[in-house]
Amino acid sequence: MIRTVNLYKRFGELTVFSDLNIHIQKGECVAVIGPSGTGKSVLFRTLALLERPDGGQVFINGKEITGRDVNINKVREKFGMVYQGFHLFSHLNVLDNITLAPLKVKKVDRKEARERAMELLSMVGLSEKFSSFPHQLSGGQQQRVAIARSLAMDPDIILFDEPTSALDPSMTGEVLAIIRKLARSGLTMMISTHEMGFAQDVASRVIYMDEKGIYEEGPAEQIFNNPQREKTRMFIRKLKVFSYSIISRGFDMVSMNVQIEMFCQKYNIELKKINHIQLVLEELILEVLAGLYTDVQPQIEFTVEFSEERGEILITFNCKGREFNPFVNKDDADHLGIILISGISKKISHNYSNGLNTININI
Amino acid sequence: MNLYVLKTGDLSLVEFVNSVANSFDKNIIDNNGWLVILKGLEITLFISITALLAGTIIGALLCSMRISKVGALKISAKIVIAFLRGSPVLLLLMVFYYVVFANSRFDAVFIAIIAFALNSGAHIAEIMRSALSAVDVRQLEAARMLGFSKIRAFMAITLPQATRIAKPVYQSATINLVQWTSVVGYVSITDLTRTVNNIGARTGDPFFALFFGILIYLAISYMVNFIFSLQGRKKITL
Repeated sequence: MIRTVNLYKRFGELTVFSDLNIHIQKGECVAVIGPSGTGKSVLFRTLALLERPDGGQVFINGKEITGRDVNINKVREKFGMVYQGFHLFSHLNVLDNITLAPLKVKKVDRKEARERAMELLSMVGLSEKFSSFPHQLSGGQQQRVAIARSLAMDPDIILFDEPTSALDPSMTGEVLAIIRKLARSGLTMMISTHEMGFAQDVASRVIYMDEKGIYEEGPAEQIFNNPQREKTRMFIRKLKVFSYSIISRGFDMVSMNVQIEMFCQKYNIELKKINHIQLVLEELILEVLAGLYTDVQPQIEFTVEFSEERGEILITFNCKGREFNPFVNKDDADHLGIILISGISKKISHNYSNGLNTININI
Repeated sequence: MNLYVLKTGDLSLVEFVNSVANSFDKNIIDNNGWLVILKGLEITLFISITALLAGTIIGALLCSMRISKVGALKISAKIVIAFLRGSPVLLLLMVFYYVVFANSRFDAVFIAIIAFALNSGAHIAEIMRSALSAVDVRQLEAARMLGFSKIRAFMAITLPQATRIAKPVYQSATINLVQWTSVVGYVSITDLTRTVNNIGARTGDPFFALFFGILIYLAISYMVNFIFSLQGRKKITL
């Protein structure tokens, strides 16, 4: 249905994406997710040629539309787009908004166009609003009319560009319900969205955009439950990460603790947990310094990850050197710190490979 | 032939009404003054309407040049608009009459129409430009996505919306134009203003004649407002 080959787009010096290859099959519903500013909207606009790509090709139904002698108007008749800001025609009422394109572009006769429009309006649950003007409708209602407007052209594919981002939470539901209905009916669609729950249950496939292109893509199940790559994982789990490295025995532990505290306070982590994080790290560092780096400078790096979604904290502690697991002799009275850590943590694991000890601690 | 005597009421009121009636007779009825005024009104309306139509066309042209992507067109439109808007229309008229068309055999009315068309054209160009820029471009884009060509999307979406935005300003520009045509007497055209002035000078009662002229201009303004209110009355405003 839609295929791109090495699509490339830049604004001046800034590359939005490059070497972007997507392939969307008929009947698929693909969610495009990713942090703001990674080019989701630009991608959609480029697919519809509202922005000219700076390289690469776009194929619709096997036909290249980036070529020279393509009547883009003809292509767009089969190409629906629903925008974040609705963009209904403000001088026309709801019914005229929907019938305008069928009448003027497709040359459908008036009666037929009106009947179809009323059908679509009842589908989106706004039959009574047919004579209202856009400014008299709520945001959610406007977006539903906008969906009906693009459906009136019987498109082969609809691109939803953040359809609920401009709506307040009480109205997103009504719009998402319509989109779900369309997805079930087998319409081919691409949706860029920040509603992760919605993306997860409506999309058959998910594309995660980051670092100027597609960073990871796969079945919704995999992307949401078992993301393979680092940034995807951070994005899906809404992870906040603090990292720190120690390369000298005389490192400033007070400053480290202050930084951890500031990081934690930023994300509203409760005081008890902050103390636990600091305690665990302090004890672990002392333990490693005493056990592993007795006569050499330490090479320690650790990260504290906080998942806003799950409220979990994960400490990943890396130290270079020979294999060293501080948790093997945990009942030893000389290693009170280890006993402390074991008491606080939910789960501890150790792993050694390529001269690197990795210790994961869940709190 | 004094038909307007009041029999009752305050004496001074009676005197006042009598004197007004007298002046009316002297200025408007005697010597067929009203026919002369009608003739002047015709000239004023002719210049105004023709200049407005020509000015609208010129305005549309200047506006399309002004917003075009071709640098030369854009800059030349900018200069022309600035010049025309910045120079007093009376001076423009005199330059055309005494200098540019001095040796031609063009009628003074024709020259006046050119001057007023150019002046109001420049104003209208800016009115159009500001109205066009006030329209949401994303709606145009939405129309393009539905398969409209650039021109047809403009005609179906941008133009009707811009027209609605421009209407009140265009309306006052029209009234402005009508009133500014009162200076054409300077180039020997006998328009409404010149006529009432002449009558006032002849009868020695300039106050009444001139005031009567003002009333006619006022009536034209109301007429213009009425005509504009006819169009688009049934539609709901934006």
